[in-house]
Amino acid sequence: MKFNKILTVAAIAVSGMLIASCSRQVTRVSTDQTIDVSGSWNNSDSRMAADELTGKILGANWISTHQEEHQGKKPVVIVGFVQNKSHEHIDAETFIKDIESSFIQTQKVRLVQGGKKRDELRAEKEDQQTNATVSSMKKFGLENGADYILQGSINSIVDAHKRQKVVYYQVNLELTNIQTNEVVWIGEKKIAKYVKN
Amino acid sequence: MQRKLIIIAGLLFGSFYSGIVNAQQTALLPDQNPRYMESQRKYAMGADSLNSLHGTTIQNTYKAYDWYEAKLERRRQNREWRHQERMNGYYDYTPSWGLYGNYYPSVSLGYSWGNRWGGGYGNRWGGGYGGRWGGRSNIGIGVGFGW
Repeated sequence: MKFNKILTVAAIAVSGMLIASCSRQVTRVSTDQTIDVSGSWNNSDSRMAADELTGKILGANWISTHQEEHQGKKPVVIVGFVQNKSHEHIDAETFIKDIESSFIQTQKVRLVQGGKKRDELRAEKEDQQTNATVSSMKKFGLENGADYILQGSINSIVDAHKRQKVVYYQVNLELTNIQTNEVVWIGEKKIAKYVKN
Repeated sequence: MQRKLIIIAGLLFGSFYSGIVNAQQTALLPDQNPRYMESQRKYAMGADSLNSLHGTTIQNTYKAYDWYEAKLERRRQNREWRHQERMNGYYDYTPSWGLYGNYYPSVSLGYSWGNRWGGGYGNRWGGGYGGRWGGRSNIGIGVGFGW
């Protein structure tokens, strides 16, 4: 009888331990918190790139120069493409969107839509030509033309030996005057990581 | 009469030509390259496909050599190969550090049991066929030519 009790308790304890060890734990964390798991590019790197590049692009004097040359008009920017030439899959949209958001929030720079979204807008406009009321129909040929295009690249250097690794990322963004091809601003964010396995 | 017609035609042609030249000159902005239309025509072709990439990230990544990652990859690959060999009913337990590069032909009689360990022994000592048949049936006896 006593032996049976001990056996039951032991079985419960073992099964409890097994369940606890096998169950997956998920915890919500702050997006500002830096959690490095594998050493690869992660949300903290994206956030750091966004913070630094946003501060740089909005603080540079290309905005005031443009306004002086164009009777106080705000510059209009379109986002071009970013080339990821690093060793990892990195989607630049995570930090480019933060920069775009800062343009809108600070009201210093006007932003126009590009790429597939612009195609979608034009398709919608086309649809309105035959389906919308004449008074609400939007016309072609009245879009805002961008003054500048924002382009970028991501590069990396990996130096690894045995269980040690140093990874260096360099994110570059460039703002170019579409009319003159003149580069009016270049921003960069450098991140270096030491990873030991 | 004929002379008058020639003069009128000449005047008309002259005015038409001067009108074209004038129109071209007014279309050009100060310092604008007069051959700008050549470039415009060239880029009109590929503009749509290029512009559709706006706002996207073009993935042009490279594979960086990482000693540790390569080691893990080798292990994973070896496990995969061993698994494939086991699935094919053949598994060679000969260690990779064997003498003479593991290339010493031998003829031997062998036996093997149907479990994985028996299959292994059948391979090593009884040769390839011993392992093969032993691996697939419950009890196997093999005569093989192994190296």
